[in-house]
Amino acid sequence: MALRADASRFFLGYIWWILEPLLFVAVFYVVFNIILDSRKADFLVFLMCGKLTFIWFSKSVSNASNSIVSSKGLIGKIDIPKTMFPMTMIQQAAYKQVVVFILLFGVLFAYDYSVTLTWLWIAPVIVVNYLMIVACSFVGAYLVCLMRDFSLVITLGMTFLLFTSGIFWDVRDLGSPEKTEAVLAYNPLAFILDAYRQILMYQTPPDMAHLMLIGFVSVIVIVFMGVLLQRSSKFLALKALTS
Amino acid sequence: MSAEDKKLMLELEGVSLSYHSKKTSFTQGTHHVLNNVSLKLYEGETLGVIGKNGCGKTTILRLMAGILAPTRGTVKTRPGKTASLLTLGLGFKADLSGRDNALLSAMLQGSSKKQAQTFLEEIKAFSELGDSFEEPVKTYSSGMRSRLGFTTALITHVDILLIDEVLSVGDAHFRQKAQRAMKERIGSDQTVVFVSHTDSQVKDLCDRAIWLHEAEIGSQGPVADVLEDYRAHIKSMNMSKAAN
Repeated sequence: MALRADASRFFLGYIWWILEPLLFVAVFYVVFNIILDSRKADFLVFLMCGKLTFIWFSKSVSNASNSIVSSKGLIGKIDIPKTMFPMTMIQQAAYKQVVVFILLFGVLFAYDYSVTLTWLWIAPVIVVNYLMIVACSFVGAYLVCLMRDFSLVITLGMTFLLFTSGIFWDVRDLGSPEKTEAVLAYNPLAFILDAYRQILMYQTPPDMAHLMLIGFVSVIVIVFMGVLLQRSSKFLALKALTS
Repeated sequence: MSAEDKKLMLELEGVSLSYHSKKTSFTQGTHHVLNNVSLKLYEGETLGVIGKNGCGKTTILRLMAGILAPTRGTVKTRPGKTASLLTLGLGFKADLSGRDNALLSAMLQGSSKKQAQTFLEEIKAFSELGDSFEEPVKTYSSGMRSRLGFTTALITHVDILLIDEVLSVGDAHFRQKAQRAMKERIGSDQTVVFVSHTDSQVKDLCDRAIWLHEAEIGSQGPVADVLEDYRAHIKSMNMSKAAN
């Protein structure tokens, strides 16, 4: 229902779900392809694979992180599980992302990328991506509730990730294979974005062990944070109401 | 019937609540919202809590509803019983229709979706919103909003109803209607805690009263006695102000 509310608020309504991420892509395209002249083949598709999935991550996590403190009114009136606030945000973003993915597949199809069975690998990548979002959101929501200042740190962190996750540059194009290895190993988001590209553009399945590791760590964080949010429900309510 | 004959619904034992907050960037202050408050609530009674603004009335309700945990002391509710705050405009989404909002509110207060849907027509009728019920809440006047909020809160059912100064809603006609409905609810077996700073409402509605004064219980007992203490206190305050 929040989605319906969201859509009715703006004149263009649902169209914004697609238009907003596309405009982001357009901005990056203008800067990197036209002004900086990156000369990468199929830069548009390359950019869309990275940027559209990055927006999903960054928007979900920043909205979810602020979700508890911004629901002060509701928290003061009723005792509801505090995981509900970030989860609502995450679900909203996930529904919108379904539309965006359909668009992305459409563009790939239009660009004559062959649709093969390798594309099925996209399913586990999306699942792990989602788990990562939930894990980061829970941590973010807890921290922001503890101290508002973390909200700024998260915004900064998103900018950092935007530049370090290989959205407008190719992780596999760094000059030295060691560097590529290091980025993929230590930045899970870069790994996920790269996995999307490898599957959709180059028909290469991702490193399953690493993917499972990210998924596994995410699940542990989710369970731990879920319990913590539940246990400290009333403490967080007091924090949200008084700070 | 003395209060002891009835079943205990909820008990506060030596409850204190305090929190830290930054007053300015350099000094750190601790607020004591409640200090060593003990009280008992029995089945079917209506307990009035009176006191001036900022004395901890709303906080006491939040503790009872389990929204906040006390810093010290315990809050015990009888097993299997739920306490819920009756609030105006619980989680209103301004872009959704009155109907959707009522549905959401009812569900947030613990009804299932099916139950909530059965309430909807009742809510529409009582609130007298007519066709506006289907329109987005952002088009409502503030009076219409409080009608919707009050009705939604009233019609959903809970074991212990916690009411936070809500009878001042809408126009005179609706206010009377609300007051009547409230009395009906209170007159039945409903257990109610009623918070207010206007003594006439407490006198009209409550069986027993508590006066909260500077985070502590000023006095408690029969409504008339407590109100007398409260009035005497206000009088003495006004006198000392006049003297200054």
